[in-house]
This record gives sequence, structure tokens and C-alpha cells, in this order.
Amino acid sequence: MDPEQINEFVVGYLKKKGFSGAAKDLEDYHHQNNGSSLSSIDYHNDPELTKLIRSFSQQEDDPTRYRESYSKLRSWAYNSLDLYKHELLRVMYPVFIHCYMDLVGKGHTQEARAFFNSFRKDHEMVHLRDLQKLEGVLSPSHLEEMEFARSLRKSKVNIKICQYSYDLLLQYLHRTESTLMLGIINEHINFQVYSGQPTSSSDDIEAVTIVGSFQDTANHINQKEIQWGLLEDSLEDRLEKTGGLLSDSEKGQGESKDGDADDSKKRSTEIGKQGSSIKKLKKDKAGNATAKVARLETSTVPPAPRVKPELALPVMSTDVEQSILEDLRNRVQLSSVAMPSVSFYTFINTHNGLNCASISHDGSLVAGGFSDSSIKVWDMAKIGQSGSGALQGENDTNDSIGGPNGRRNYTLLLGHSGPVYSATFSPPGDFVLSSSADTTIRLWSTKLNANLVCYKGHNYPVWDVQFSPFGHYFASCSHDRTARIWSMDQIQPLRIMAGHLSDVDCVQWHPNCNYIATGSSDKTVRLWDVQTGECVRIFIGHRSMVLSLAMSPDGRYMASGDEDGTIMMWDLSTARCITPLMGHNSCVWSLCYSGEGSLLASGSADCTVKLWDVTSSTKSTKAEEKNGNSNRLRSLRTFPTKSTPVHALRFSRRNLLFAAGALSKPAS
Amino acid sequence: MSIVPKETVEVIAQSIGITNLLPEAALMLAPDVEYRVREIMQEAIKCMRHSKRTTLTASDVDGALNLRNVEPIYGFASGAPFRFRKAIGHRDLFYTDDREVDFKEVIEAPLPKAPLDTEIVCHWLAIEGVQPAIPENAPLEVIRAPAENRIHEQKDGPLIDIRLPVKHVLSRELQLYFQKIAELAMSKSNPALFKEALVSLASDSGLHPLVPYFTNFIADEVSRGLNDFQLLFNLMHTVRSLLQNPHIHIEPYLHQLMPSVVTCLVSKKLGNRFSDNHWELRDFTANLVALICKRYGAVYITLQSRLTKTLVNALLDSKKALTQHYGAIQGLAALGHNVVRLLLVSNLEPYLRLLEPELDAEKQKNQTKSYEAWRVYGALLRAAGLCIHDRLKIFPPLPSPSPSFLDKGKGKIINIEPQKRKLSVDSSKNQSPRKILITMDGPDGVQSQDHTGSAPMQVDNPVENENPPQNSVQPSSSEQTSDANESESRNGKVKESGRDRAITMRAILDQIWKDDLDSGRLLVKLHELYGDRILPFIPSTEMSVFL
Repeated sequence: MDPEQINEFVVGYLKKKGFSGAAKDLEDYHHQNNGSSLSSIDYHNDPELTKLIRSFSQQEDDPTRYRESYSKLRSWAYNSLDLYKHELLRVMYPVFIHCYMDLVGKGHTQEARAFFNSFRKDHEMVHLRDLQKLEGVLSPSHLEEMEFARSLRKSKVNIKICQYSYDLLLQYLHRTESTLMLGIINEHINFQVYSGQPTSSSDDIEAVTIVGSFQDTANHINQKEIQWGLLEDSLEDRLEKTGGLLSDSEKGQGESKDGDADDSKKRSTEIGKQGSSIKKLKKDKAGNATAKVARLETSTVPPAPRVKPELALPVMSTDVEQSILEDLRNRVQLSSVAMPSVSFYTFINTHNGLNCASISHDGSLVAGGFSDSSIKVWDMAKIGQSGSGALQGENDTNDSIGGPNGRRNYTLLLGHSGPVYSATFSPPGDFVLSSSADTTIRLWSTKLNANLVCYKGHNYPVWDVQFSPFGHYFASCSHDRTARIWSMDQIQPLRIMAGHLSDVDCVQWHPNCNYIATGSSDKTVRLWDVQTGECVRIFIGHRSMVLSLAMSPDGRYMASGDEDGTIMMWDLSTARCITPLMGHNSCVWSLCYSGEGSLLASGSADCTVKLWDVTSSTKSTKAEEKNGNSNRLRSLRTFPTKSTPVHALRFSRRNLLFAAGALSKPAS
Repeated sequence: MSIVPKETVEVIAQSIGITNLLPEAALMLAPDVEYRVREIMQEAIKCMRHSKRTTLTASDVDGALNLRNVEPIYGFASGAPFRFRKAIGHRDLFYTDDREVDFKEVIEAPLPKAPLDTEIVCHWLAIEGVQPAIPENAPLEVIRAPAENRIHEQKDGPLIDIRLPVKHVLSRELQLYFQKIAELAMSKSNPALFKEALVSLASDSGLHPLVPYFTNFIADEVSRGLNDFQLLFNLMHTVRSLLQNPHIHIEPYLHQLMPSVVTCLVSKKLGNRFSDNHWELRDFTANLVALICKRYGAVYITLQSRLTKTLVNALLDSKKALTQHYGAIQGLAALGHNVVRLLLVSNLEPYLRLLEPELDAEKQKNQTKSYEAWRVYGALLRAAGLCIHDRLKIFPPLPSPSPSFLDKGKGKIINIEPQKRKLSVDSSKNQSPRKILITMDGPDGVQSQDHTGSAPMQVDNPVENENPPQNSVQPSSSEQTSDANESESRNGKVKESGRDRAITMRAILDQIWKDDLDSGRLLVKLHELYGDRILPFIPSTEMSVFL
């Protein structure tokens, strides 16, 4: 090897890298020692090193090298041993996107695009949405501007890999001297090598999300302690106490009486269903009998430690409390054998304008938020009365719900100046909150049919708003990437939860009111402490935007649904996904747990309501801890609607499931 | 490099008044344009998701532009999809059609209908986890075989609960629906409403539980109401609608349904008044039978054979009434040409001999009888004719034969002519309805045009020629209401024109002799039996060669 040549390489390399001073010094140095081989640097004599130096000087400006070395690495990984293949393939995705971003960053737009297109197929299945985002990045400035790209560039990806796969990879990289790949892998991947056999490919949920810098922080945050137990002295407790005093016969009477009440309500809304509801009544009893047994079983499981409320909770009037207790006492116990009845509210003639729907806790009020800034509230009980009133011949106090023109049978609430994205009823049903693209949240009274308060605080459209389980407080989330906690009596937010990397799309309260959960377009779900405003959990695993959240009534689990139709069940204390529930093939708009937490209902844009058995999951998690994977959750029933995407779901306190959606013309 | 070509950037620049944009600058801008467009689309998709939709609309894009503090693009808010038009002379250039609107037009136009107001409809999506089969719900996977069900459940593991089959309870709504339909079918006072009901029967889902009730109802009413023509017709329409409904599986009930249908086809007497056009009912039912055979013949292998057996028996039984024969013939004819060839044509000769005395005006004095006989004769002729036409038209069209061929044919036809004429005169004396006259006019027309030697004009000639005999008939047919006559003649014309079309079909005689001696023989036989009346069914060239 000619030392002169090597010197040239070195000087060229230094110049290229911008070390002009060093290059000059080196040149001077060589000039001084011209001819003499008294070089103190030993790179002249080390063939390996010279090769390396030469490769450095060559590759820098050559965009085709990325393609070559990537495709070599790719074919090697695809031809590797089956056992280790999926682990090695996992490495390919970060390498791929960083190759692409390197190319873009160096201004080789054309080559970058060609490179991207030729290999994107490999990763489309898992990372489609990321790829769609990255595809638009075409200049170095875009890399800077785009949050996603920036976080990718800054952070390292953690990849769990077994010892042997790791050795294989290193061997390959050294043998082929693909320094380019080696550089990228070193720079952007953080291997967590473990000994033993490679894990099965299905368990790598974490590997599929590249979450940027907060993987570590997420792990850190998830160490924090959370208290997911229910509140002390909750209504359920009181029910246990009072319920224990009632003898069985009394209970039975109560049931039939209430069944009648329930019946009459239904009769008012649904004429001509008597036969079925009587049948229902009978079955309710049977269901209760089985459920009592089930309750005995579950009561042996030690309940979670009760917690004190961190917020000052509103005092509940005794009337309301009594009615709730009454409802709870007459709740139909649901399980995989006792299925709920589903009452469906179909919005017709919406002209594609219905953005959201909400159902009050007793199912009697239904609110729709429309893209023409209006909110319409229907009182289903009154609609039923006016219908049955004609039948019974008693036209009693059917006062002006219709408003001035008398024909309208809903209450029109006007006030927003942009599409209404969300509406929520307070637990007793006397207030409605709505959030809109005009960045405000408005409080409406269903008694006065008027706007009471306008809450301004968000800077961008407010995507979602939710009343707390006890009313008074509410949480909102917005395109401005924050979630905020408010109380009804103050127009300023009480807390601002910032931390999501993209829009916060949905929000949900924990049953004990001390936490809220938020789902975001950054594909994570976070749990926040209401009192401190801190993020206490990050749930990573979704592959697309999170659209809906639900908390189990016992406060231990959370379900989240995403744009792809996947529903994930999370254990709040460990921040781990218990299992993904696959079944829907379009956006999951709505999730709801049944009153005692044994069933999960999900409503989707694919025009179905699905019921999932989640009791078996809680059992199997315990089993899982002992004997590995014994699977798991299952879909119990699918109820297809007639081309009506399901926007909202609500289990009433008596476990009747209400669902709502807008009839949309099937695409012809 | 970017999906936005630099030309696009240049066009945009020109449209906002920058004329001196350097090509390099355009090239640099192109990737940024793409990035911005993608950014807007990303936000627009968010807006779409929060509007709980799965199709992106112009308003979503406007929303996204608002989010970015960009003025929205006005004028694209309409709900209708844009109509892009191709610019002439450019391959990939499209523009939206922006019509000039006249103010006067807009002002004078009547106000559009106010859109319907939003409402909520409530129904049970499920009761105790079971979806009721009501029209509001999506059609269920109807009645799965229980065995299949069990296997399926067992696969799911021991956790699954096996539900016993639900007792068949008909919901109140369905009961009302059934009652209403039954009333409509019986009442025949409101044909418009009944038509609506038929549409509902043919399209609504969730009607399956009613099928046994309907079959029962139809069977009962048919057996009871044979004298009530309108009722029978309504019932047959109901059957047809049930068959059409895609959500109904009617096979298990076919065995109950078929006897009533066949009754309406071959019953001796349908309706009790003279004005009842039971021929129409028989025709309709024949088509219905054919539909059933076509749809379920593959499932019920014995269906068609049993049916044809019944029909042939009805036909060959000389003691049966002519109306029954007519129904049988129509039924067989509707089942397809193969059935006609195998069953009808083979029995043609003895049957025609049987029919001969009835047709003869001198022997048969009873006008009704004679009318019926001609009706049967017409049906028979049509069936045989269509059959032979079908046989012949499969041969590929070849260049038309030499005129000398035609000339030869002419001579023979002329020979037969006198006999023909006599027949037609006979029939007009008999005051037979138009239809039969036409079947006889046809050959007349062929003859006359053969005389003129203008083969291509065949299509028009028969229609023209049928005028004189029509005139001769009309005065004498005073007994029949002129209305009926009118409709009949219209009917006749339609059929005639269909036949004329058939005449224009060209094939070559050589083919017939060489390829299919059978059809040749068949043709000869038919000709023997029918005389020239079969000729309109035969493509002209073949006919000429044949003759």
C-alpha cells in the first residue's frame, strides 16, 4: 500500500468532515517529513486500518452504497436460520428508516425516494402509518421540522435480541465489512442482549413501536406507584351492606317490581315489544341466580386497597343516591352466559353531519353533536310518551319540548361556532358538556335548555370532553397536545397535562377519580395523576391513533381501541398489555365496560357491536403468571347493524346496553 | 424525486402571478409542496376521524387548513363528488366542470325540498344476546344447520355455553306484517299498495320466520279460491316476490308451494267470470315454474322431472279440458327448448290429431271451445316454433345462398298457398281472436314477399300484410269487447315483431343437413304438422333451402 495514497485519503476525509485545520496540520506534517517514513502514526503499516480508511473516504458521497449494503443485509437476514430470523428482521426496520433519513439528510432526494420505494414493502405490514408519515420527508429541513423524524434521529431504538442472534449479526457485519450498516446500527440501535433461546415472534409488541426518546422514560415512569383501588365508602359498598340485610324473597319482589318499571320505560319507547320484555324479565331472574353464585366466587378474591379521593368530591343528594342504589340492586348480572340486551338508537337523516353521540347514564337522553355546530338532545322517554299517549288517550303534560314550531321533538342547543366533536352527560343527566373545533367547551343545562358556561383554555380544536364519574369535574383533550382538568365552577383549567407528542384524541376518568387516561395520535395511552398533573403510566403498543378508552369498574384494567380496529386490554399497575383483542376491521369509536366489569362492549365503524368476555382474561392473567400463556380473551357476540357505524355505547346501571349511531347510506 | 412534478409548481406559480420562476426553483419547491400537502392531509385525516367518518371530505381539508391557520379553499363544500373532465388534447389534465349559472335561473327555480330533519329511531339490536330478526337489524346468517353449530362451538373450547335452539316465537311486528300482506293479497282493492307490498316482500330482510306462514297461506287460499281470479293472480305475485327475496331460503318450503303453483298453471277453471283473463295467469305461472326449476333444479334433482311428468300427463289426457292443456304446454315451453323438443314435439302428432276436430269451425259449434282450441294451437305452435328456431340459430351465419335457391323455394310455397288461404279464411269466419290470426298471417306475409322476391324486406312485410285480415276480423268480432281485442292485437304485434327479428337471423342450410340431421328432420316433421305456419320461426335462408 502506498503511504502517499493513504495520506491523501486521510487528508481528504478530514477535509470532507470539515476538519480543515487538522487536515492542514497533517499536510504540513507530511511536507515537513517529506520522504522520511518516520511517521508516528501506525496506520501505514496496518492493512486493516488502511482498508477502513479507504472505505471511509469512498463511501461518504456515494448514495448507492446505502442501497447496496442494505439489500445485502436484508438478503442475509432473510436467509438466516429460521429460529433467529424474526429477531434479525426486527433490526431491519430501524436500519431501513435511518438509511432513508441519512439519504434525505444528505440531500440525495432522488435516491432516497428510490431506496424507500424499493424496500417499503417489507415493513408495510407492521409500520404502515409510520412509513406514510416518513414518505413525505424529502429535504433536510423536513427532517428538522417533523417531530416524528426528529425524535427518531435523536433516540436509540431498544431491541431485545438473544445472544446468538447478536453474535450472528456482528459476525456478518464484520465479515462483509459493511461499515455503513455497522455505523447505523451502532448509532441508532441499543441492543439488549439476553442469553437463552430467542422469544417467539408473537410476543414482540414492544419491538414494533419505535417511540423515540421516551422508551426509557416510559420504563422509568411506569415504575411509579399507582393506587387503582376504588374509593372508600363507594356506593357499591353501601349496596353490599344494605343488600345483605334484604332477604332473598324481598329481593325477588324488588326485582319484579323494578322489572316492571324497566318494562314500562321500554314500553314507552318501544311499542309492541311486551312479549319479549316479559321473557326478558324471566331470564333476568335466572341470570341473577347464576350471577349470585358468581359473586360468591369473586368475593373470595381480596379486593384492592381502598383509596381516599384526592379531589373534593361533590356531595350527592340522598334522592339521587337512593335511585342509584335502587338501580345497582336491580342490576342484571352479566357474564358469558348471561348476555345483555342492546337497545340501539339510530340517527336518521343526519346528512353525514353527525360527529358524535352520547347517551346519558340511564339511557333516556341522547345527545348528538353535529358538524354544523349544533347539538341536539333527544329525550327518549318523552318521545315514547307522546307516541303511547295517543294510544292510551291521555294527552297529559306533553309540554313544549318541541320548541316554537312544536314539531321538533328534540332540543336544539346552539352556541358553538365550529363542528362539535364531543358531548358528555353528567351522571344524573342534568348537564351536558360539549367540545368543539372553536376551541371552547360549553356547559349546557338539560333542564333549562340553555348554555350556562363557556370554558376557554385550549388553543386548538378540543377533541374530547368527559365528565368525571361523580360529576362536577371534567377532563378535556385537544389538538394542542394537552389534556386539561376543569371544574364546573371555574372557567380556568385546574390542571394541564402536557407530554403527548401528538394530538390527544380521547380522555377517560379512572373510577376513583384520581387519575385520567388519555389516548393520543402518538399511538400511546398515558395515565395522569389528577392531583399532581404528572404522567404516571405510558402504555405503548398501539399501531395507530388511539380513538377510545374505557376503564373497568374495579379500576384495575383499561381498554383502548385504535384506528385499525385493535382493542388492547391493559393492566394499570404493570402498564402491560394483557392481550390485544382483534376482531374489528375499522376504527373502534367506542368502548364500554358492563356494570360489574365482566363484559366489554365495543362499537366500530365496521357497523358492528361486539361483546368481549373479559372475566376470563382476569382469571387467565393469574393463570398466566403460573403456567405461561393460556389464552385469553374472546369475542362473545357480534351484532351487526344495518349499515350504521356505532358511535357511542353505554351500559346503564342496570346493565342494559345502549348504542347509538348514524345510519349511513351504503356505498353504492 | 417528488410526486409533484416541477411543471405543476410552475403552473401554480403562473396562476398566482409569478411568471419568471426559475426551473431550478420549481425543482426545489416541488418536494416541499409534496410535504405540505401530506401535512395537510394528515391533519385532515384527524378531523375526519373525530367526525367519526371513514371517508375524507372537503370539509375535513378545510378543517385541517384552519388548524394550520391557512385560509380554507372556498367553493368545495358541496356534498356531491366532483366531476372531473378531461381537457381535450391533454392526456393527464383534468378540470372540474364549473357551470355558469344564470341569476335569473336561480331566482326563478322553485325552492328545493327542505331536507328531512334528523331523528332518532330506537330498536332492539339484541335481546339477551340474541338478535331479533326484525327489519331494522342486518340480515342474519339464516338458520344454520344445528350440527354445524355444535361443532363450531366445541372448537371454541369448553368455556362456551351451548344454547338450546330458541323456540320459534314470531314477533309482534312480524305478525302484523303478515296480517297486512295477507289482507292486501285478499282484498285486491288497492293494487298500488299491493305492488308496494310485493316490493317489500321481495327485498326486506328478516322476513324469513314468516316463510312457513306464507306458504301455508298460499296453499290454503289457492285451494279455496280457485274461482277468484284476482286472488290467484295476487297469490302468484306473492310467490314470485318471495322467490326474489335474497334473504329468504325458500327451498325447505318448495314442496308445499309447488302444488299451489302448478294448480294455477293447469287447473281446469281459474276464475269464474268470462272476462277473467286466465290465459295471462297461466302464462305468468308458467314463467314462475320455470324460475323455480332454474333456481332450485340443481338442489332438488327430482323437481323438474316430477313437474314435467305432471304436465305431460295433463297434456296427454284427452279427457282434460283444453285450458288444462294450454297450461301444460305453456309450462313445458317455459322450461326450455330441450324440454319442448323431448316431450312436446314427440307428442305433437297425436295431439294435433286430437285437436283437429276442435279447430274445425264446421265441427265445433261452441265458440268458447273453438277459441280455446285455437289458443292451445297457438301455444303449441309458439313452443314448437321457438324450439326449432333455437335449434337453427346456433348455426353460424354464412353468406346468403344464391337467388336461384330462393326461386326454387318460391314455387313450392305457391303450391301450398291455396290450402293456406282456405285455413285463414276459416279462422276469420270463426271469429278467432287476433293472436291466432296473426300466427296464420305470418306465413301469408312470407308468401307474398316471396312473390315479390325481396328477401331482405321480410322484416317489414308481414306487419304490413296483416292489416287486411285484421280489418276483416274486427267487424265480425263484435261479441268481444273492443278493449280486449285492442290489447290482444298489441300483444300480437309484439310477438310478431319478435318473430320477425328471428326471421332476419341468417344461417345456412348446408350446415343443417351436414351437422344436424336431427333438426332437419324435426323441421320436416313440424312442417308436415303445421304446414307453413311454422315458417316464421325459421331463419329465412334455411327455410328457402328447406323448401
